[in-house]
Amino acid sequence: MSVKGGYFKKELSVDLTTGHIERQDLSDSFLEKYIGGRGFGAKLVWDNLRRHDFKIDPLEPENLLVVAPGPLTGLYLPSSGKNSFVAISPATGLYGDSSMGGGFGVELRQTGIDVLTLRGRASELSILFIDGNEVAILPMPELKGKSCLDAEAMIKERLGAQVAHVATIGVAGENMVKFACVNTDWSRNAGRTGMGAIMGSKNLKAIVVRGNKDLPVYDVLGLMAEADKAYKYMREHTFFKMWQAQGLMNVVDYANLTGILPAYNFKDSVFAKSEQLNGATMLNQYKIGDSACFSCSMCCGNICLVKSGKYVGTMTEGPEYETCAMLGPNLGIDNFDAVLSAARLCDELGVDTISTGNIIGAVIEGYEKGILSLADLDGREITWGEEDAILELIRKIAYREGLGDILADGSRRIIEEWNDMGKIILQVKGLEQSAYDSRASMSMALAYATSDIGAHHTRAWTVAKEMEEGRGWSDDEKVGIVIYHQKVRPLFDMLGVCRLPWIELGLNELHYQKFYNSVTGNALSLEELLALSNDIYDLTRLVNTRLGVSRKDDSLPYKVWANPPLTGPNAGKVINQKDFEKLLSLYYEKRGWDEDGKPPASLENKFNE
Amino acid sequence: MLKKLTVIPEQCCGCRICELVCAITHFQVNNPKKSAIRVVSTYPHPMIRMPIVCSQCKVPVCAQVCPVDALQWSDGIVQLDQAQCISCYKCVESCPFGAIYAHEECEYPIKCDMCNGDPECVKKCPTGALRLLPEIALGESKRLNNVLSYTAMKEIELYEKGERKVIRYAEVGKEEL
Repeated sequence: MSVKGGYFKKELSVDLTTGHIERQDLSDSFLEKYIGGRGFGAKLVWDNLRRHDFKIDPLEPENLLVVAPGPLTGLYLPSSGKNSFVAISPATGLYGDSSMGGGFGVELRQTGIDVLTLRGRASELSILFIDGNEVAILPMPELKGKSCLDAEAMIKERLGAQVAHVATIGVAGENMVKFACVNTDWSRNAGRTGMGAIMGSKNLKAIVVRGNKDLPVYDVLGLMAEADKAYKYMREHTFFKMWQAQGLMNVVDYANLTGILPAYNFKDSVFAKSEQLNGATMLNQYKIGDSACFSCSMCCGNICLVKSGKYVGTMTEGPEYETCAMLGPNLGIDNFDAVLSAARLCDELGVDTISTGNIIGAVIEGYEKGILSLADLDGREITWGEEDAILELIRKIAYREGLGDILADGSRRIIEEWNDMGKIILQVKGLEQSAYDSRASMSMALAYATSDIGAHHTRAWTVAKEMEEGRGWSDDEKVGIVIYHQKVRPLFDMLGVCRLPWIELGLNELHYQKFYNSVTGNALSLEELLALSNDIYDLTRLVNTRLGVSRKDDSLPYKVWANPPLTGPNAGKVINQKDFEKLLSLYYEKRGWDEDGKPPASLENKFNE
Repeated sequence: MLKKLTVIPEQCCGCRICELVCAITHFQVNNPKKSAIRVVSTYPHPMIRMPIVCSQCKVPVCAQVCPVDALQWSDGIVQLDQAQCISCYKCVESCPFGAIYAHEECEYPIKCDMCNGDPECVKKCPTGALRLLPEIALGESKRLNNVLSYTAMKEIELYEKGERKVIRYAEVGKEEL
């Protein structure tokens, strides 16, 4: 079977050390098996690991950074603006990926490539400019220290390319902060697992793309007819208007109501003043415009402006739920002005808002509990809700000043420095936990523990369903839903589309099967597609077990075992470690992995061709 | 009745669905760079997302500069006669709005033809930023805004089902009868 559409069948590989740039053909079997995005990334990272005998330092030149949109990216279908960054993560030392929306992936595809791979290290701070068929590595040391927003504007002006799309890092990326992100379209970020640090380690300030090629589609009109059905379904959904109006900010109320909203570094799971930070407040008092990723009718982005007070004039796209929760309630901040200001600062410096909020929350609690001394804090006290000190600390992390230098290395380093911080900071495998409390949801706890990149919610977001209907779930059901999510979700990142129409508006998976078939001319059933998607989860597990992960790493933060939320509907609830271990064994069994969490050795052959 | 494709920038979310729909309708390809409408975004100062599309001017600058009279205004549309066009792109350069486009693979300038009076982009726009309005209605919302912001009006603010609403009213004269 040959692939009839969906791909240019080209990989652009760039060696920043030697300046060698090459377009390589991609084989049909590679395209069919790995589809795109995260799938390409996982396979290429795996191959690179094998070449280096599974010894790769994430911040050394040999770490391969894969930038991959998918075969559906940029097409007329719901929310097709996604693009994945994949590499060995500096935060965890394991498999890492993060995806961004906006229009960068679309433009990257329009230059006529399916995937961009980067290795090596430029001798000085440079940008990579892919202008259609022409590719150049341009030294631009003058960009050093520029914020993401300024860098994007400067680059567009310097190159005379206003229509280009720019993926750039901020100061945090340059300084290799282990949770630095990659920013595009001014405020869309590939936030997690430190992909910005990897660009920084390669002396690569930005990737600039400008293309004008037709995106290859096997059946254009067939795809359009399918897409119209999907758009129609979404438009008629009860919550569609609410999504346009509030976006992910609507989750704040929900999380507070169900008791999964992190407050005061997860000491609590409800926040008394959450109505000052919820979607309605954002909409009524701050929102000045909508913002959408490419081809997305849900337009979940909100442009917000602070109209008065100390932070007057602060404008940012967002925050969305995670940012609002981690930089708001989790730090004891009840002032939405300050949350916006912190979110904007994170965008400019290029740090992940989830990890930043999590780490600063842990610092505040650490100081409160006496684990950190005033000297550790460089002599500046920091307590809950103290906006100035918090904003200053975010800046210090990005610039690696004083305490910020340690914090910038992420939770693992923090625990090395202060052992007791291990009981306070919430992380799995070195990645700080997202803004969904798992102490009342066994399936969410299992999802965090078994996530390949660490404690991130997107791998299996089961908490809402368990809160709503899963109180009496059996172990089988809990494990089942986690595996189901881990099996379906890679598909979205592989296809290069956003999963929100599916998870939030219930757009059926079958739509995506039809999209895929119309685009590629293949005739896969949904089950066949999901099997390919599930393979990626196996593959990233193989990457991790080869890098030393075993059962002991599929664990949970200390707080989840020992410190229940103080108030709210889930007060007093913790995860019972014995029950959890039992569940984990069942999970391994259902996955076909051994008691130590290792997939069978024979599985490697599947991915070694 | 003459209808005009109208853009309301404040409603545009920048999703660029209009670009895709236009390219698919006219060229049967998924390529936003082959559309006759493009969303231009600026951020953060000022923050604007504005679809740029032909205004079908009745005194079209593009037609004035066209050396072969390939552009003609008729029935509310500035029509491009491809048989006459020599693809010099003078129209692209001269349009005051930058609303005519060029692409290296396309022989002719890419210009909005209003899809025979029923533009696809208007039908697919998810936020209502693109509208097809009769000429007689143009400026109506601005007129209404102007009236509503009449300075002698008073304002009270209220929340109804969590939504902020403003009621404006005029103070009726209190002088003795």
